[in-house]
Amino acid sequence: MTENPLDLLPELLILLGAVAGLLTGLFLPRHRQWIAAWICGLALTGATVTTALVMKNPDMMAFAAYAVDSLTNVTRATVAVATLLVIILTTGWARGHRRETEVYTLLLLAALGTVLMAGADDLLVLVAAYLLASIPAYALAGFGKDAPGTEAALKYYLMGAFLGVLMLAGVTLVYGTAGATAYPGLHAPVVGVILLLAGLLFKAGGVPAHFWVPDVTEGASRPVAAFVTTVPKIGALVALFRLSGAVFDEPALIAVLAVATMTLGNLAAFHQDNVRRLLAYSTISQAGYLLVPVAMAGRTGLASTALLYYVAAYAITNLGAFAVVVSLGSDRLGDYAGLARRSPWAAFALVVCLLGLIGTPPTGVFVGKLLVFAAAWDGGYAWLAVVVAVNTVASVFYYLRWIRPVFAGEGDGGSARGWLAPVIAVASVVFGLAGGIVLLVLR
Amino acid sequence: MNALLWLLPALPITMGAVLLLVRRAARSAAVTTAVATLGLAVYAAVARPRAGARLLFDSGLAVDGLSAAMVVTVAGVALAVLVFAAGELREARFFGLMLIFVGAMLLTVTATDLVLLLMGWEVMGAMSYALIGYWWHDGERVRSATIAFVTTRAGDLGLYFAAGAAFAGALAATGNGNGAFALAVLSGDPAPWRDLIAAGIVVAALGKSAQVPFSFWLSRAMAGPSPVSALLHSATMVAAGAYLLLRVQPLLAATGWAAAVVAWAGAVTALLLGAVAVAQRDLKQLLAASTCTQIGFMVLGAGVGAVPGGAAQLVAHAAVKSLLFLGAGAWLAALGTKDLTGLHGAARRYPLVGVTFGIGALALAGVPPLSLWLTKDAVLGAVREPVLYGVAFAGALLGAAYAAKALVAVWRPVDAGTRDDTEQPGTRRVGVLERLPLPVLALGAVVLGLPVLAGDGWHLTAGELALSGTLAAAVVLAVAFATRNRWDAVPGEAVRRAVAMPGPRGLLAGWLWLEKAAVALVWRPLTAVAGGAAWFDDRVVDGAVNAVPRLGMAAARLARRPFESGIDGAVRAVAGAAGRLGTLARRPQTGQVHLYFAQAAVALIVLAVVFVLAR
Repeated sequence: MTENPLDLLPELLILLGAVAGLLTGLFLPRHRQWIAAWICGLALTGATVTTALVMKNPDMMAFAAYAVDSLTNVTRATVAVATLLVIILTTGWARGHRRETEVYTLLLLAALGTVLMAGADDLLVLVAAYLLASIPAYALAGFGKDAPGTEAALKYYLMGAFLGVLMLAGVTLVYGTAGATAYPGLHAPVVGVILLLAGLLFKAGGVPAHFWVPDVTEGASRPVAAFVTTVPKIGALVALFRLSGAVFDEPALIAVLAVATMTLGNLAAFHQDNVRRLLAYSTISQAGYLLVPVAMAGRTGLASTALLYYVAAYAITNLGAFAVVVSLGSDRLGDYAGLARRSPWAAFALVVCLLGLIGTPPTGVFVGKLLVFAAAWDGGYAWLAVVVAVNTVASVFYYLRWIRPVFAGEGDGGSARGWLAPVIAVASVVFGLAGGIVLLVLR
Repeated sequence: MNALLWLLPALPITMGAVLLLVRRAARSAAVTTAVATLGLAVYAAVARPRAGARLLFDSGLAVDGLSAAMVVTVAGVALAVLVFAAGELREARFFGLMLIFVGAMLLTVTATDLVLLLMGWEVMGAMSYALIGYWWHDGERVRSATIAFVTTRAGDLGLYFAAGAAFAGALAATGNGNGAFALAVLSGDPAPWRDLIAAGIVVAALGKSAQVPFSFWLSRAMAGPSPVSALLHSATMVAAGAYLLLRVQPLLAATGWAAAVVAWAGAVTALLLGAVAVAQRDLKQLLAASTCTQIGFMVLGAGVGAVPGGAAQLVAHAAVKSLLFLGAGAWLAALGTKDLTGLHGAARRYPLVGVTFGIGALALAGVPPLSLWLTKDAVLGAVREPVLYGVAFAGALLGAAYAAKALVAVWRPVDAGTRDDTEQPGTRRVGVLERLPLPVLALGAVVLGLPVLAGDGWHLTAGELALSGTLAAAVVLAVAFATRNRWDAVPGEAVRRAVAMPGPRGLLAGWLWLEKAAVALVWRPLTAVAGGAAWFDDRVVDGAVNAVPRLGMAAARLARRPFESGIDGAVRAVAGAAGRLGTLARRPQTGQVHLYFAQAAVALIVLAVVFVLAR
């Protein structure tokens, strides 16, 4: 146990970036607010670099309530990189906006809350992190001040408040029965477990707390949708993993939730003609796959590797798909017909990312999915691996429904520009190809 | 410093390849490379290095007496020709190909084994194709290049055959193939294999050297630029065949029959192609036919065991023939004609070219004291068989006749037969670079026979020398006297008539109709057989292959009816059910928050109840 603030340097850097960006933005004219974006970007880059430097250090506990181990470190890096990509995505949309700086600050604060959730080793820290991750996200969802955005923000907030209260009740219950809130040695009753799960499932977008996902993804602006479907999920799942290993041992419960989440997400995505809702359901189903290693926490050594690899690969790939949506600026599936002819690079990125989401080799998600299969098998839940496989096959249908018209169709739905999507697509493939090396680092 | 020997072929080949790729400063780079190569060649001739390497088999390069003469000749003639060409051509492609051509020849003459020799031999053949067809926009020139290439290539197969036989022979003799390809050990192979090796090598060498019956390709090789002819007819390509025969002379002698075959082939070529040369009305064609005859003496030398004489003939001829071709090329560029009648007076209009050409022509005629007079007699002196001697001697006299014909034609005063620009528009000037190599080569044409007088071991008698020199001079004078008042009216028409003419005149002017014979006897039957094979492949083999999928498709169509509908139905049912479930899965997503709350709460309560009770 240490009380050295430098152990939290990545988190502090993100916080510093948010504060510095906000203060700088206050004094900048509207056309120079991009400087705040650079400050936030630098803060995230700094967080990534400092994380990389301590990646191989032994596990430790900071301030008796915050674990600094490989789970936290990978989350720090993944969240920082993903948020950096979101900021790049956002600049085009927010440029020249009256409150441009606030977007970047809110993104950084939500990212900070996500990281803290992952690192929390005490229920009270977890609750604080939950609130820090949620409240900026509500503001982001309604940032545009338009009717769909306001409705999305309200639904997001109401769901978050309701499930957050349930989670607080769970914390109270656990504290009442166990007399402590720190994870080590803590044991939670089943009802308390379910109440805790309510809040974390809300952040992860899992059944039965998933209702906000399609509505917010469709209603909020596109870069914000990319953020809320990708980044909070990372912290919530890692926090679940930590709890599942330390505080309760309910693999069957989590497995049931995983099956329900992936199946419902896949089925609901089937006949979507709005690509944002399609991606929203797709992220629900991906949350289901990600719950599989959570269920296997403590049962097999592969579980943490599987979770971290999958969540990192998924974050990159999902952002790639959203980057294409952002650059095309249309949600209608019909507008993607013939995209390969109009914007070959964007079409390439879209196809790579969608095939990646299916789990096609050689993308990163494929390696993650393989590890998930292995973890389920190794943990004695072979049937769960079978369900994941069946769901994966079913998911091919709606992804292909999107890919096919990109090449086969004819249409004039505008063209997509931007270098970010192809770069992310290439990165997701490289991530898969370099899977062996990455795994070596994780071990 | 033995490894330096690898540089000798590698330098021109590398520089040539670089020139083909980079295409900058081609002329200066090519001439510089040629100078450096000549320096390396002289060094190699003096130091006699030897370098070994293991490719697939033990192989290597070495310079002995014969190779020393060859490398200096090749490098020297190449330098002269490249300097001349630098005045006439400027494209990098030309100089790149020429350098690779020279490098391949250097590799051929320094290789100590069949494999390495074959590599150089093949690259040389390919480069000759590219150079003869250099002006590839002209379909007829490309056709000429193809005929030349296919003909020499057909002969080359013999070398592959020889290499295979050498390997088989070494296997049979020693049980392993180590060192089987070394040129020095070929004569020691056991009997049946030794004969096969010799047969293969003889065919390949006669093809490359344009001896009867392969001579016609040399006529076609005139389609390239004049410097190409000058190089290809003197020190490279045709010389490679003669060199190979001289190199493996012990093998030819060991078989008993091969030496005789080679000797007769050389002598007959000297006689027949000499007659062909006399009948030519085109200067370059005359020179081409004369190349065959002069190479014939080298081949004869290999056959009768006069290796030093053959080598001396090769070196002297290289200087003489490159000189004559460069002169003819200079006139072609300046006057635009190579027709013998059209060239009347050419020597007087360009005296330096005329004088050097005259020296070359007199040397070609065998007039004393010039080089070919000595070297030719060094070969003839070794011939013991009277009939063979008679044939070869007659060939030598024909040599005097055609050389005199060319000499007289160009040295006549300008008269009514003179025609400019029958081939191409002439430039009316011979530049410095074109003139520069001519005196040097002329000097070579005069003195290169002298080594024959120096050493002993030469089959020379004073009587023979005197007789052949006197006869050659007499023939030259007779030809000059006989043609002093004659000139043919319209040259182009006369050539056409001569070729079309039946009887001996047309036969000789048309290069013994060897090309027609090759086309009729080899090419036509081959294409007919190939056509038949193609028909068999298309109709019978391919038909059978096509029938299999057709049968398969028919069977598949038959099988489809009963089975597929069942599987298809199942697939459709699954898809339909999944689609309905999809619609059902979206039912809870009402968009109303209070319903969301209710559903979430109910789900959580159900979960709690189930898992509490299940405990």
